[in-house]
Formats: sequence, structure tokens, C-alpha cells
Amino acid sequence: MRRYVLAARRYRWLLAAIVALVWGAGIIAAYVEYSTTYESEAIIWGQRPPPQLATSPDDPGLTVVQTPASQHAALLTQLIQTDNFLVDVVRATSSADAFAATGNQQRYLDNIRKGFHVQALGSNLLSVSFTARDPRTAREILDAAIAVRGQRVAESRVAATSAVSALYQKELEVTQARALEAQQQLDQFTESHPGTLSDVDQHRKDQLRLALDFIQIRLGDLRGRIDQAVLAPALVDVSGMEFQVLDEPREETSPRGGTKTAASIASAAFVAGGSLAALLILIGGLLADGLAGAANVGRLAPAKLFATIPRVASRAGGQDLRAGLAAVAFGDGGAREAIGE
Amino acid sequence: MSAPENLTRAFDGLASRVDATGFRSVGFTSALQGEGVSTTALGTALSLAALRQEDVLLIDANWIEPSLTRDARAESAAGLADYLANKSDLASVIRPASRSRLAFMPVGDRASARPTLRSLSALLAGDAVADRTIIVDLPPILAGEPFVLPWAALLDQLFVVLREAATPLPVVRQALARIGLATTPQIVLNRTVAPSADIAAAFAAART
Repeated sequence: MRRYVLAARRYRWLLAAIVALVWGAGIIAAYVEYSTTYESEAIIWGQRPPPQLATSPDDPGLTVVQTPASQHAALLTQLIQTDNFLVDVVRATSSADAFAATGNQQRYLDNIRKGFHVQALGSNLLSVSFTARDPRTAREILDAAIAVRGQRVAESRVAATSAVSALYQKELEVTQARALEAQQQLDQFTESHPGTLSDVDQHRKDQLRLALDFIQIRLGDLRGRIDQAVLAPALVDVSGMEFQVLDEPREETSPRGGTKTAASIASAAFVAGGSLAALLILIGGLLADGLAGAANVGRLAPAKLFATIPRVASRAGGQDLRAGLAAVAFGDGGAREAIGE
Repeated sequence: MSAPENLTRAFDGLASRVDATGFRSVGFTSALQGEGVSTTALGTALSLAALRQEDVLLIDANWIEPSLTRDARAESAAGLADYLANKSDLASVIRPASRSRLAFMPVGDRASARPTLRSLSALLAGDAVADRTIIVDLPPILAGEPFVLPWAALLDQLFVVLREAATPLPVVRQALARIGLATTPQIVLNRTVAPSADIAAAFAAART
């Protein structure tokens, strides 16, 4: 242990310089990170997720049990993972020219992607934020993301509604044909059995009429479903309750959102400086080849050991002995005070 | 025991050996800066003055870092360099220190002269210093070899001060090789652990 203490003392200025350099650089980097990070945030109320999100993307037959906020958050997170979505977002902002001019668009999009943070705050409340180097870009990107998300959901809903409507329409046509066929069977039976019907014929006629009634009820149900499929999502959109932005994205006037990253940078620098210093002490201690004691002076032959001077405990920084000796020899009043004379 | 005696007690062993060997002029140097050479020279001078009950002259010949001259607040005073440059006579550059029997010669104007074998011979042969014990504080060998070699050839003994377990051995060997042209120095091991601790460690080592 002693050799490491000595190595630390021997290299104290180098250690101090290294630690000061690493810690200083870390603190400066952390400050720059903090002071140049602007976060824009939107608080959103999600009332009802789009119908197509009520099922798992992996298994459409499986209903996903999620809160509206987590479903909206999942949708936004998935959209953000796609380059296509981000391209539309960037093109809707003032950064479109810079994006078009950049040499590495993929890296540009990756940086944009890293800036998003989506979080469900409750069963219906979610937060979407974006951090950028200037407040305007942060606000623009977030605004554009919410707008493009709305477009995508609307397009998706139209497609889904069309598919459901087409399915119902097809079923309606089949049911109409069956209704027509049932009506024809009933008419033919009525024509072929004039007068009073036997019990068997009456039962047969009642069955034909019942089948026709069932088919007509089914026809009415299908017409209602078709109307609902077209109108219900539109009504929710009109009410604005499905995805309601409670707090609009703002341009922040002071840095925000960089505290965590800055703290991480500062912590990393702190650990790196300490580790580097420890490593230097370790290496210095291992490589030190000093005289471990009087018995080793033989290694310096032909020079011989003449005398040893014991270590003198000092009161402050090892300067007491020298100051005291100087005071005794040269009469330094201040130093005499230091030795208690 | 008074405070001054407490301070010089650490150097009593070294002073006793110097006294026992009869050395009249000794110099202290080191391989590197910061080994405690000036402190050792100062402490030995004080201890030796008390021990021998005769005059001791402490000479600051450290052309690189004249810390003793600074301690004596004699930076602007004439000193060794001025004498070697024939600007001052010997008596005028020797200052009586506050401690009885201890005199001090500051380094003086270092730009005016450098120590040479001839000039230092004249100094040591002078009447003003001939009847005194001479303690010389020298610069580190590796950094100030030209300032050490003339002294090494003239002094009764040159001591190389090392810090225990701190001074790198290869550096010490290099320094000894350079000074070996003029003399075979002896080692003064500085800042050693207390002897009682050594004994305890030896007992512990013997048991294992």
C-alpha cells in the first residue's frame, strides 16, 4: 500500500492535472449539453384508440388489453421507428432544406428519432416530447409529428373502414339473394297450395315464413353495421376526443430537458478521471523501483549507506520542519511562531 | 528539550557520523529535485554546530534552486557567486546566522560566475573558512552536474540524499555514474520509517 501512496504523492501534480483536465472537460461538456438542449413537450388526452389498434399487430385475433394512453403511446412510438414517418415530419418543418442537403440522411433521421420521448402519464394522459439544440426546431418537430400522426391514423382508418364496409356489403348482397330466394320459395308454396292447408303444409309454410323473417332481420342488422362503420369514426374525429392535445408544444425560452444527459456526462467524466488517476497510481506503484529500505542500499554499490534521516511528522503539508529549521538558523519571526517559540 | 533541539533531533544521527568520521567539509546533493537536500544540509549544519561546539559554515551552492538563500531572505545579498567572480571578498559574503556558531553564505548573483575547481579550491583554502566545518547545499546531479562536480572533487565527502521507497533506482544509478568521475559518494536515506517500526516488521517477518 505504501508504494501506491508514495506513487500518488510523487505524481500528485500529474494526477491533479489529469483529474482537472478530465473533470473540467466533463463539466464543460455537461454544461454545454445542458445549456444547448431545449425540450418541447405536448400533453395529450387519449379518449379512445383507433379501432385497428385494439388488436395485437402480431395476432389480429387477440385483443390487446391496454389503456387508451398506452395504446396511443405505442402507436406513436411505432411510427417514430419508421423512417417514412420521420421524413414526413422533417419535411413539414423548416429543417426540410437542411435535411435535403445533408449527406447522410439516415444519420439525420436517427438523431431525430433519438430526440423523441413518448410516455404514458396515466390511463388517458400521455406526454410526447422532443429535444433539440434550439427551441424552435423542438417545437416544429413536435408539432409536425402530431400532425403527421393524425394524417397517418386518418388514412389507416379510411382503409380499415373501407375494408369492413366492403365485407359487410358483400354479406349484404348474399343475404339479399337469400332473402329473395326465401320469398320466392314462400310464394311458390302459397301458389301450389290453394285453399285450406293440412297441418303438415301449414307447418311447412310457417317454416318458410320464419326463415324469410330471419333473413330480413339479418338484412336490417347488416345495413346498420355498414352505417356505423362509416359514421362512428368520423363522429369521434369530429368531436376531437380521441386524441386531444391539452398542452400544445411551446418554444422554451430557457434550456430544458438536458439535465439528465448533462448529469450522465458529468458522472462519466468523474468516474473516468478517478479511474485514470487510480490507474496511474497503480502503474506508478508497480513500476516504482525505489529503495525499499536501508538494507537495499547495497544495490547502489560502490556507494554505501552513510546515515538515515527518520520521517518527521509535520503539522501542515510537510513544511513545518523546514520552516522551523529556517527560523532557528536565520531568525525568521514568522517561522518561529510556526514552531511555537 | 527545547523546540530547536526537537527540530534538529532528526539530523543528530547524521551529524554524529559526520563528526565521528572527522569530515571537515561535506556536500549534499541528490539525483532529482525534491529529495530534501536543502533541509538535510540545514538540519545537519545546525546539529553539527551544537555537537562540535565550533563554527559551521553553511554554503548555498544550489545554482538551480537556492532555497536556503530564500529562507535567509538574502536573495539580493552578495554571496558565493560574487566571491567566485571576485566582486566581493570572502568575509563580506559570510553572514552570521542567528544561531550561535552557524554562519551562512548565500548563493549571490548566479549570473556573475560558475563554480570551478580552481576558484573553489581558493575558497576552501581561505582563512575565513579553513577553521570551520563546511556544509554545502548542492543542486541535483542530473539537472546541475556542472555545479556539483567541482565540489565533489574538493569536499571531504559528498552525500547523495534519497527518499526511501520513492526515488527511482535507475535514476539514482545514473546520477552516481555521473558523479563517480570525481568521487564515490555515500548515501543518506531520507524520510525513513521509524526504527521501532522496522524492528516490529523484522520480528513479524521472522515469525512468518
